[in-house]
Amino acid sequence: MKSKNYSESIIKVFKKDGFVLSEPDVLLDSDYIIERSGENFRKIMLTFEDDAGKSMCLRPDLTVASCIKYLKDNSKANSKIYYSGQAYRKSQSLNKVINYQLGLEIFGSKNKSIDDLKVLKTITNSINKIKIKNISIKVGDVSLFKQLIESLKIPERWRMRLKRHFWRPQYFEDLLDRLETNSDVDPSTVELDKEKFFKMKNIDQNKEIANRKVSEIISRFDRKIRDPRSFKENKKTVKIIKDFLKINCQLNKLEKTLNNFIRKNQLNKNVFKDLTSLKSLAKFNSKMIFSTNFGRDIEYYSGVVFEIYNSSKKEIARGGRYDGLLKNLGSKTNISAVGAAINLNNLKI
Amino acid sequence: MKNLITIGLPSKGRLREGAIHFFRKNNYELTSNGGERNYFAKFEDYPNIKIIYLHAKEIIQRLGDDTLDVGISGLDLLNESTTNLKKKIEVKKKLDFGLANVVIAIPNDWIDVQTVADLEEVSFDFRDKKNTRFRVATKYPNLTNNFLVSKGVTQYKLVPSLGATETYPFIGSSEIITDITSTGKTLKDNNLRILKDGLILKSQACVLYSKKKAAKLQPFLNSLK
Repeated sequence: MKSKNYSESIIKVFKKDGFVLSEPDVLLDSDYIIERSGENFRKIMLTFEDDAGKSMCLRPDLTVASCIKYLKDNSKANSKIYYSGQAYRKSQSLNKVINYQLGLEIFGSKNKSIDDLKVLKTITNSINKIKIKNISIKVGDVSLFKQLIESLKIPERWRMRLKRHFWRPQYFEDLLDRLETNSDVDPSTVELDKEKFFKMKNIDQNKEIANRKVSEIISRFDRKIRDPRSFKENKKTVKIIKDFLKINCQLNKLEKTLNNFIRKNQLNKNVFKDLTSLKSLAKFNSKMIFSTNFGRDIEYYSGVVFEIYNSSKKEIARGGRYDGLLKNLGSKTNISAVGAAINLNNLKI
Repeated sequence: MKNLITIGLPSKGRLREGAIHFFRKNNYELTSNGGERNYFAKFEDYPNIKIIYLHAKEIIQRLGDDTLDVGISGLDLLNESTTNLKKKIEVKKKLDFGLANVVIAIPNDWIDVQTVADLEEVSFDFRDKKNTRFRVATKYPNLTNNFLVSKGVTQYKLVPSLGATETYPFIGSSEIITDITSTGKTLKDNNLRILKDGLILKSQACVLYSKKKAAKLQPFLNSLK
């Protein structure tokens, strides 16, 4: 089957399942994306300056481009959309610059577990439709990690740090090493700054120093030096986290596996509060493999994540829940969302 | 002329003085230091060597496009250049002048920020409170990006600066800066302090050469001690 025929067959399934075509802009405002997503994104963006000196880029990702369009249309647009088009990213290898994607998104998802399942079902049905046999599915859920971290006894700044950097596995390992050795506060420098702290307490608290209020600076300083400096539990905490990240089982055995993990590490029984979504996915396909260490390469995922592979283990589709992205892109309210995309580049067999 | 070697020397400041001294030490005496408007010079008794005085940044560029064969410039400028350019240039020797560090500096009164890890935390607070990313003014966008991202800081945006970067946090153009400093005095005088682990690069003057010309240049390069 040729690429064009693949697309047509897949789009038929998307439409049948109630998704409506959306055509996100190809050209986006680079500054807007950097403002919202950080400098890290700049590395993969193909940018140029227009005649007026404004920096523009080719859309680096169709999920981000679809979200921007959804917000631009003032959220009046249909909330179940599909798209078909190219995303453009800088890459050392030329054949990875243009990524042809067919994907779908549900914005403003009200019932999360129903919508998670809906997205996975539509994607797998469309893959079946183009007669790709023997697919395998891997699932993760980045929110389980956040729930685990909430239950551990560690200083708040460490809690935040570990959650923020879960999606960057290599840096995350460095963080665990630092947590284990407790090497992020230098007592000698703190002593020097304490003098200044007392002086600053007596000046106008609303005064701003490089865009930060004096009150904000001294309250963070105070909080930081009050954090426990040497905690025996560190090694134990790191071991629990490392153990958690080794969980790899069939999805329908997840609950049992998590319960064993909780017992072994003497954690609170209710650490993992909500497994509804994962349970409903397990009912849909009992052979799915679950891994706690999976789905850590994209910052915006916040819940269930999945990848689908063909018989030669090449990734042909991926998706997941991203409840914070629309707010990061400028929405005033939280808009939960879930989506997935088929990578047509990898379908060419 | 066959076997002509073109060398780029920094056109001003300590780098220029250091470069002239380095060649003199190696028995290459300049016939002229290059007047105010004269950008060309020669070494006594070496008619096949041509000297051009250029801006230190320009020397890197011209080594990349083969206008120059050899040049003296700063390691900071070489490391800041694009991957494609760096691939074309080799460091022959690191020299004992032009010593300076590229560092991250923050306002002295940000007493709660000692390390890059603190900065990372504050960057998230900043985004949550102001709904914008904190700004880093710099003359070194590539070095700054690579360093910050490797240390887990992602919530920032760069403000390109051409000079007087130290003033940026106090005139509302950025919150923090990265800059080059040899003694740290200018930073201190401008109410800034270097983060404890904020060393991005230890820089110094270097003898650089175009990789493409390596074979032709070997006898000359080997004469430099």
